Amino acid sequence: MNRQEAIKVIMATIGVQNAVVSTTGLITREIFEKFDSERNIYVPGSMGLASSIGLGLAMAQQTRRVVVIDGDASILMNLGSLVTVGNKQPTNLLHIVLDNEAYASCSEERSMSGTARLDALAGEVGYQYVRTTDNQDDLKRAIMEFERGPGFILAKIELGGRRDFRRPLELAAIKNRLMLFLARQTEKE
Amino acid sequence: MNQSNKSILNTLAGDRSEKADLLHGVFHELGVNFASGVPCGVLRHIIRNFEDDAAVLHVLANRESEAVGLAAGAFFGGKIPVVYMQNSGLFSASNDIASLLVPYRMPIFFVVSYRGCEGEDAVQHLTTGRATERLLESFGLPFEIFGNQNL
Repeated sequence: MNRQEAIKVIMATIGVQNAVVSTTGLITREIFEKFDSERNIYVPGSMGLASSIGLGLAMAQQTRRVVVIDGDASILMNLGSLVTVGNKQPTNLLHIVLDNEAYASCSEERSMSGTARLDALAGEVGYQYVRTTDNQDDLKRAIMEFERGPGFILAKIELGGRRDFRRPLELAAIKNRLMLFLARQTEKE
Repeated sequence: MNQSNKSILNTLAGDRSEKADLLHGVFHELGVNFASGVPCGVLRHIIRNFEDDAAVLHVLANRESEAVGLAAGAFFGGKIPVVYMQNSGLFSASNDIASLLVPYRMPIFFVVSYRGCEGEDAVQHLTTGRATERLLESFGLPFEIFGNQNL
């Protein structure tokens, strides 16, 4: 499974009302170019904070599922965030880490996730649902079987893939779009 | 910061918390309902007020960057957040402020304790103390310094 396949499975499987927070680099750029939507928020800078932003959003919108699409090097920059999630127990948060054991958006320098057990760590700090996958079928099943969080899916992916994606630039407009989406859906609920 | 400003830190750090209560009242009027940050002894009454207020969702952060992320997420979700930290942490979180809050145009209020000003004896605060106002100015962030005479 590569990044392109993993992202496609995630975006096709999660609910249409879910909010999506994507991490810095190619993950955000691929989602922006192929799956841009008012439910998405991108984290093009402040690498490492996708899970914190997702937790803040999940706590503010407790009836809505929030899906964080993170990377291995990204979560390694903010490991304390796992502990905060475990402490706050947001049942509506699904944290997916695409793990290619590298800074793939840079020059594919090796990260240190290969010698860590990020899935075990998530379980130890209090995530209630932990799955590890390395193929599209298992990833899809892991998302579909998720009910009550905090949830953590470690998706092992291969390095490589397309790099020439556009960048999200109109961030204030993307923020306004998300906030209107959330407000509109909250009214319906 | 002059000596009279320095004493405000002592005021807030002491047993009296009227000024922290006053500040909390301002937050209440502004509709603040989310707070995140990293503790600083100077801010302890302010933090306790957040913790004691059932109308405020208070999430302690492990690092200042994390607090910025939590507040940004809460803001997206419709909350009105406040972030608190010591000015030393402002430097740790500076890229997150610059690359997340600024381009997303999120007007989030920060309460920052000011270490390393005149009268400071802790050497680890002196460099960041000298640079704090220039950091904020260089980012184009509006700020006010509160001391005894204006708090």
